[in-house]
Amino acid sequence: MTQTDAHDGNPGVTPSRSLSERLKDPALLLIPAFAFLGFMYLLPLTDLMQTSVEGDPWWADLQRVLSVPLYFDSLVRTMNIALTVALLCALIGYPAALLIQRTKGITQVLVAMAIILPYFIAILIRTYAWMVLLGRNGPINKFAVWIGAFDEPVGLLFNRGSVLLGMTAVLLPIMVLSIYSSLSRLDPALVRAAMANGAGPLAAFWRVLLPLTLPGVGAGFLLVFVQALGFFITPSLLGGPGDMMFAMHITQQADSITGEGFLQALAVVLLVLTLVVVAIAGRFLGFEFIWGGERKAPMPKAQQNVDRPRPARGGTKAALADRVGWPLLRGLGALNARWGEWTVRVLAICVIATLVLPIVVVMIISFSKASYLTFPPTEYSLRWYEKFFSDRNWMSAFWNSLFIAIMSAGISVTLGATAAMGIVRSSIRGKSTLMLLLVSPIIVPPVVLGLSLYSLFLKFDMVGTYWGLAAAHSIGGIPIVVVIVAAALQGVDRRLEQGAAVHGASPLTVFRKVTLPAIAPGLGAAVFFAFLHSFDELVLTLFLSSPRMKTLPLMLWGDINYQLNPVLAVVSTLEVLLVVGGIILARPVFARARAGT
Amino acid sequence: MFMTKFRKMGLSVIAAAALLAGGAQLASADGEVIMQDPGGSYGDALRSVMYDSFEDETGIDVITVQEARSGPRIKAQVDAGKTEWDLTFIFDQEVGLLGDCCLADIDYDKLSDSAKETLATMPDNLKRPKGVALQVIGVGLVYNTDVYKDGNVPQSWADFWDVEKFPGERCLPAWPRFTMEAALMADGVAKEDLYPLDMDRALAKLEEIKPHVTKWWTTSAQPPQLLLDGEADMCMAYTGSTSLLALEGAPIEVEWNQGFVYYDFFSIPKDAPNYDNALKLLSWRLDADLAAELTSAYPVALPSPLVFEKADPEISKYWANNPDNVAKAIEWSPEFWGAQAAAGNMTNEEYGQEQLNSLLAK
Repeated sequence: MTQTDAHDGNPGVTPSRSLSERLKDPALLLIPAFAFLGFMYLLPLTDLMQTSVEGDPWWADLQRVLSVPLYFDSLVRTMNIALTVALLCALIGYPAALLIQRTKGITQVLVAMAIILPYFIAILIRTYAWMVLLGRNGPINKFAVWIGAFDEPVGLLFNRGSVLLGMTAVLLPIMVLSIYSSLSRLDPALVRAAMANGAGPLAAFWRVLLPLTLPGVGAGFLLVFVQALGFFITPSLLGGPGDMMFAMHITQQADSITGEGFLQALAVVLLVLTLVVVAIAGRFLGFEFIWGGERKAPMPKAQQNVDRPRPARGGTKAALADRVGWPLLRGLGALNARWGEWTVRVLAICVIATLVLPIVVVMIISFSKASYLTFPPTEYSLRWYEKFFSDRNWMSAFWNSLFIAIMSAGISVTLGATAAMGIVRSSIRGKSTLMLLLVSPIIVPPVVLGLSLYSLFLKFDMVGTYWGLAAAHSIGGIPIVVVIVAAALQGVDRRLEQGAAVHGASPLTVFRKVTLPAIAPGLGAAVFFAFLHSFDELVLTLFLSSPRMKTLPLMLWGDINYQLNPVLAVVSTLEVLLVVGGIILARPVFARARAGT
Repeated sequence: MFMTKFRKMGLSVIAAAALLAGGAQLASADGEVIMQDPGGSYGDALRSVMYDSFEDETGIDVITVQEARSGPRIKAQVDAGKTEWDLTFIFDQEVGLLGDCCLADIDYDKLSDSAKETLATMPDNLKRPKGVALQVIGVGLVYNTDVYKDGNVPQSWADFWDVEKFPGERCLPAWPRFTMEAALMADGVAKEDLYPLDMDRALAKLEEIKPHVTKWWTTSAQPPQLLLDGEADMCMAYTGSTSLLALEGAPIEVEWNQGFVYYDFFSIPKDAPNYDNALKLLSWRLDADLAAELTSAYPVALPSPLVFEKADPEISKYWANNPDNVAKAIEWSPEFWGAQAAAGNMTNEEYGQEQLNSLLAK
């Protein structure tokens, strides 16, 4: 169903034209979202670029960024780290995605939860969990000493390894989701057919599974790479001085008075680098990777992508891979098929442990009695829960976060869903470009966005207002909604809409009685994800909050920087409960969504 | 079914928003003062000793904003004509750098009598038209007493650099200020001859210690955490938070020899929304009795002999302005760090930061 609909979004098809005429032009639905993004997103970024070239001569600040070895080296290092993280994610994310696909029933739900759940827990919290895990008093050191691997605890923190580990763990769910969406679209009969024709499990993997899911891997790779480019929380907490990433220079520079112009130039360089990477990737993969790989939403173009590589399989690269890989596989093929299954299982379980362990550790620490974070805690108490619920700062931060997230979800869904309707149902030209613009906030480093928004917020008196922050969070919320709702819309059988229209239903009635019920599960998911996006948002908030307006992530950031105590763990435990609760409540909705596609 | 749910949700969003709009207006009614806050245990101490009593007495709400460094944001706010803060603390050199563009004159006449009494005991340089020094900050050599004991304890930056005599992990701030001075003293420069700093020499000496530095910290909470966790055995750290731990019985000691003493200046940004309330809060904080009480909760002091006399001697021995400590410490030069660097369009501090970053990234 999805596929046929996806392909005939063609403006020339007569019935779709007659319907779109009745609806007036659905392209008009794009206006609110674009007006919003134009003001909140494009305007500030343009302003930022202008400030970066206000030096004398105009390129003075940009030149300083690129000519001082410190910044140039950091740029290279940032790309290096991002690339390594993306590679690691691809390598260990694949078995995890396979495991989700191969398990059934409750096991599948649990495995999927274990991998997806961490994605919705604030990066800050997950990073801190790694600090605890890797610390000298942390469980890893204690265990290693206990089994005799180390004589005494060693320093596992503050080096490149801990940065790579932390960032990989933080970004892994994106990769797994992207690969999984590719895997789930694959006809399982293909693998069975390969096996039936005598290919061993490894050969089936190499010749069938991997090539067909390569677009998913590529999409995940790029999403991870691009997001890693703008990282600053994880490397600043887990890294040593040799691991300064570019976004950290921006925040450091934001602390100096005379940095005007140069500060903006730093941000512009990071932005341009990101855009260049995306542009190059887009040329080869199609820009759909930005949304196609996001939150397992099958999009029309992504579907074509799955098909595309097949004719290209005859290329030299493929031939080379086959020539090297094939004999190797033949050799390995002699091994028992069980062996492959167990490899997937063991690898995937390691991945899940990596993702879940930090959360479990944080949950245990929340019951600690000590005022500093150590694991395992020597004594247990509810002291920090009491502190959280009795502290008026924490409580007001909690309510602020909740209200902002509700408002932001409201804005995101209103604007995002109408825009998705506009994109999917209209015959407007340049859909890909419009879609790219709508989802592009996903790829802009949050540090850059926050910096650019700050001057806009000052100008229009929005700093620290509920609406201001909710709107800022919606910049990232809209893409999420657009992607999910567009996918849901494509799943709607248009013949039903047409049928209703033919029988005299007005466009609004058609929407209310046919379209809306059909996309309701998608809308529900969109509300939930947009809510969580805002609830977890830290970096924009850092720039845009005011004294009166502290959000939960902001309070957490303050605690990490000024006073480390287990309240942090209490908040994260509560957040995990919120996410789990939300998913359980939304399960019927998700189940319908799955059945619908 | 879903429709009704959705509609309800939409309604509740609107209701929440209306509620919030109303709430926001209430909060911004008269009778508040926006104060920059250091956070952490210092923030807690300020809240319980200073702000709660101030609110009870005056009815003015103290709204705190945690921010380690406010200079750049003051400038951005004032430039845009949207000042949010009423009372901030900034570095010595920033009083000069920001003074003309962004800071309001402090109307000393309007301060309370008890505040005037305290101010009368302070040197003129600490009560400038655009800023008054309200906290003395110390940075010193802090070490773990379980690791270094029985007389074999580090007493100078030369000892800090001596990894043979004092093996163990170090931690240093990731800033050029303090670390460069310490490096030069470790290299044998007398404390009178430090300024202007020979940055190249300092960097060469820092490179020597770099392999032994487990963490170049950036926030004041990190060194105590690193020391308690055993990640580091010896740190250059703020004396406030570390001496609080020492007072609580943690195995930590603060060495004042060759430490650094400087002042945080309290300033009112131009066009602050609640100028008069800021003056009232400033008066409150300058009250000698309260200031002395505050140091019992957190040992960062007000630079007035009057406060020193009133404070608990057990605690004031950790004060940065305790005469015993001041005698051992060096006089840190904000003028040098705020001055234009030879390299051009930046301050010495920015230049030094760039140089240090390059060294650390190597």
